Amino acid sequence: MEYVIHLSIVSGIVAILGMSLNLIVGYTGLLSVAHAAFYGIGAYVTAILLAGFGVNFFLALLLGMALAAAVALLIGLVLSRFDDDYYVLASLGLNIIIYSVFLNWNTLTRGPLGIPGISRPELGIGGYRFGLTSNFSFLVLTLLCAVLVYLAARFITRSSFGRVLMAIREDEQALQVFGYRTVYYKLAIFVIGAVMAAVAGALFASYITFIDPTSFMLRESIFMLSVIILGGLANTNGAVAGAVILVVLPELLRFVGLPSNIAAQMRLLLYGLALVLLMIYRPQGLFGKYRL
Amino acid sequence: MDLFVQLTINGVIAGAIYALIALGFALIFGVTKFFNLAHGAVAVVGGYAAFFFLEHAGLGVLPAAALAVCVAGMVGFALHKTVFLPLRRRQATNLVLLIAALGLLTVIQALIAMFFGSQFHPLSQFAGAQEVYRIAGGAITLVQLIIIISALAVFGLLTLFLKKTKFGKAVKAIGDDEEVAQIVGINTHAIIGYVFFIGSAIAGLGGVLVGFDTGIEPTMGLSLLLKGIIAAIVGGVGSLSGAVLGAFLLGLAENLGIWHISGEWKDAIAFGILIFFLIWRPRGILPR
Repeated sequence: MEYVIHLSIVSGIVAILGMSLNLIVGYTGLLSVAHAAFYGIGAYVTAILLAGFGVNFFLALLLGMALAAAVALLIGLVLSRFDDDYYVLASLGLNIIIYSVFLNWNTLTRGPLGIPGISRPELGIGGYRFGLTSNFSFLVLTLLCAVLVYLAARFITRSSFGRVLMAIREDEQALQVFGYRTVYYKLAIFVIGAVMAAVAGALFASYITFIDPTSFMLRESIFMLSVIILGGLANTNGAVAGAVILVVLPELLRFVGLPSNIAAQMRLLLYGLALVLLMIYRPQGLFGKYRL
Repeated sequence: MDLFVQLTINGVIAGAIYALIALGFALIFGVTKFFNLAHGAVAVVGGYAAFFFLEHAGLGVLPAAALAVCVAGMVGFALHKTVFLPLRRRQATNLVLLIAALGLLTVIQALIAMFFGSQFHPLSQFAGAQEVYRIAGGAITLVQLIIIISALAVFGLLTLFLKKTKFGKAVKAIGDDEEVAQIVGINTHAIIGYVFFIGSAIAGLGGVLVGFDTGIEPTMGLSLLLKGIIAAIVGGVGSLSGAVLGAFLLGLAENLGIWHISGEWKDAIAFGILIFFLIWRPRGILPR
């Protein structure tokens, strides 16, 4: 049962990442592979504030979201100058730059050693304090966040703002002719996506209670991309489905009895293979409404 | 002063390695116009093929290296045949090709890690003790000298080959316009296949030489590839001399940069340069 709860929590976190990245990649057509950077910012802010200063989880979460928004605004401004392949390349570079900051800013992030001893969230109402120390209560929190992100994503994609985003994806120039300042729209959705990723990062840090830079490498961005491409671009339900499939499927390898180092490589192999096969046979993914 | 000389030498060595990766990348980009991210994986294949021939087949250094370069070329060719050609036949967009290549990179690196383990293997253990030469107060090993010479030689030969032969003209024609090249009777698919073989073999050579200089590990593909791409873009996308120029500039900037900043920031410096160029000079120093 603990195991099922664990998988559900991880799926929930990945689903938040998938849904947020889908807003950027699927709905707006901006192929960003920098999402792990914002995931990492959320995780690091939470970790540093919780482990170092004993700040309340929810305050740390808000601060993490704010920092992710600020960084995303800067990165989004840089990225707004690029299209297609160059966008991918630049976002890839920015992911690696942020990763090197996590890795090398030793005084703040403890570099490759990582930050241990991150506490679980605590709710304080009046004099009564309630810690979300059991995995089940943490699952409730994760699902709550995932549902909020899901509703936000649905609200965004069904609003007029969302329709502009999809129009940007289909024909940005035509939209500019109609007088839309597409740059602002792209920047806005990029920041919104980054803020949601920071929520996932905060949950991850607090759940695992230990983080180090390797969780926020380019590899993770590629993993998130496979989640949404598998589930289907421009489909929020698809992103959730992709997250569950790609979290649960590699776990089956455990039951086959592969040694853990082989199993870890097998996971990567699966993600990569999923990308290649999908591109060849079904570029819109399982439930996609948009193909690259 | 000695430090400056040594950093410059290190920069030139790094530049030569980047040049080998960037040359193959630029050659392939020149005809296909998409970012072949699987190019880094091919370099790793070269390195590990050499390791396999040395460790398990007991070959000498030179035959093992030569065979490894061929294996890398063939893997590049196979990737083209099985993945990129079918996608391009279907008029897939560049983004689709790029994601497929990203998937291939992940798959190949994972496969290599599964078969050979993910630890670091120095290939120099098979080559015996190395001579160290001293230049103006700096040191350089024989392997490093070979790296610099082979990068320049490959560049020279490749340029000459593309300039003087019919094949080279066909490559240039495809680079200008693939459809028109096809109409005038050039077998574009075959030519692009050969280009994949040559470009991948050059990357494989890079992988082998890195293995002899420092060592090989499955994840080195991505970092090598990214440096190669940065070099190709800084120099001027699709131009071979630009790729080489960009590679040496990048190698020098990275190594002289750590004179004042700590060495761990090398990657950040490299990507800083990339972003700078993408914003202010997206076509590179020597545009094609």
